[in-house]
Amino acid sequence: MDLFLQQLINGVIIGSTYAVVAIGFALVFTVLRVINFAHPEIFMTGMFAGLLAGSHISDNFFVVLIFGAIGAGAVGLTLERFVLRPLRGRDVLMTLIGTLGVAIMLQNGMAKFMSPDPVAYPKSLQVSLLLSDEIILTSTQAVNFIVSILLLAGVSFYVRKTRYGRATRAIAERPDVAAAFGVDVNRVSQVTVALASVMAGIAAVSVGILYGSAWAFVGLFYGLKAFICMLVAGNRYFEGVILVAMMLGVIEALVTGYVSSNFRDVAAFTILICVLYFRPNGLFGSYDT
Amino acid sequence: MSPLLTISDLHVSYKAVPAVAGANLELFPGELRVILGSNGAGKSTIIKSILGLVKPSRGLILFEGEHELTALAPHQIHKLGISWVPEGRQLWGTLTVYDNLRMGGFIEADDAKISQRIGEMLERFPRLAERRNQVAGSLSGGEQQMVALARALVSGPKLILMDEPSLGLAPIVIRDVFELVKEINASGISILMVEQNVRQALKVAKWAYLLEVGRVVENGPSDEIANNESVREIFLGGRH
Repeated sequence: MDLFLQQLINGVIIGSTYAVVAIGFALVFTVLRVINFAHPEIFMTGMFAGLLAGSHISDNFFVVLIFGAIGAGAVGLTLERFVLRPLRGRDVLMTLIGTLGVAIMLQNGMAKFMSPDPVAYPKSLQVSLLLSDEIILTSTQAVNFIVSILLLAGVSFYVRKTRYGRATRAIAERPDVAAAFGVDVNRVSQVTVALASVMAGIAAVSVGILYGSAWAFVGLFYGLKAFICMLVAGNRYFEGVILVAMMLGVIEALVTGYVSSNFRDVAAFTILICVLYFRPNGLFGSYDT
Repeated sequence: MSPLLTISDLHVSYKAVPAVAGANLELFPGELRVILGSNGAGKSTIIKSILGLVKPSRGLILFEGEHELTALAPHQIHKLGISWVPEGRQLWGTLTVYDNLRMGGFIEADDAKISQRIGEMLERFPRLAERRNQVAGSLSGGEQQMVALARALVSGPKLILMDEPSLGLAPIVIRDVFELVKEINASGISILMVEQNVRQALKVAKWAYLLEVGRVVENGPSDEIANNESVREIFLGGRH
């Protein structure tokens, strides 16, 4: 029972980070109709921006978090302006290759500039045990989970209740009609990419603090899982993406605990293949592209 | 009085296929004019050109005598006071009725003002007030058309472009829709309508254009067009 509870906690925590990255993927995809393969690397850039701030400015938690957000947001906006916007309306393969190129550039650039190996993260939070000796929940795990939940609640509020959030959903469903009713599609795209990037940057800093290290290739791990979550859920309901991400985190943790960590990815891809076979538009449906 | 909208020598092609080939139209403030024509005549393409959703290869679209619409993006055109009731309604089906109306007034940043306008729309269309929190995709065709009309009105437009507002509706609903169109026009809003229900359209419109393969082949007051031999032959079921 202890193992089950422990893996459940671990799964929900990692699932909440998957959810933040997956929502970033889904937001950009619904508005720009583009799979932004650079998104996981924006996450990684945010992690390193936080690390640099923590090492050179202050290791205060909020300072590190803010710099992570700024770093990722700046990279996201640059990507939108110089890659996504010029390629809008072109063949989808061109945008895929464009974002993939940026991803490879960021990943290898960071490996060269910082290190190809994991780098120690500033100790912005004291690690303390919150539950018991049998079931471990550290303060950094709790903070990671709380940060993710706040980000998800924030994006949900944005999409449902704000003017630009409604425009995001309107563009997702009928971009032409949205434009004819006064929505500047370029502006909303810019805001969407910035929002997705800032969220990824904040989540990345809390992951860096949780594991005590930053790694130039971390984006691949989170990005792949987040991408699976978006495909399995479909991009129509963001709440569906969050639910799938949490479930994937828990399933992976249970497989790791009860079977072997070698089978963790097998579980994720088996779920993906099964869902795509029976429901190609995802469990909760997708917008027409 | 100078025209609110002037279209001169408009040419639009989809790749190599010409859809509009030299169309000329005018609309004066407060008027309701209709464009008639069979499928593929280029009616909807003219509407989309005015909205900036398709780019003409040649020609001029002037609004209020000073704004050249072909040089503007769709969101800039809407800000000038041009709204749209699209063919087949094209509501945002996953958004609620209320959110569809909010999007109709997207350009208005003042929350209080937009709430007031939506309140006026819900008074004007009481059935929508009952369904304000329902997703628009779940409404009947007639209710969806009401949302489409209300959405077009929320921003307080000078001109509404209506693309086949009667399409796919039951005959009894069509009558109501044309009554609403007349009411909207009577409130001072200019309307340029594309319609295949020729009989009803000619009853409400002051002036009509007959479009064939992308060209205006006839135009004149609606009663004259209604009595035009070729129009009667093609659209109104022959001589009576």
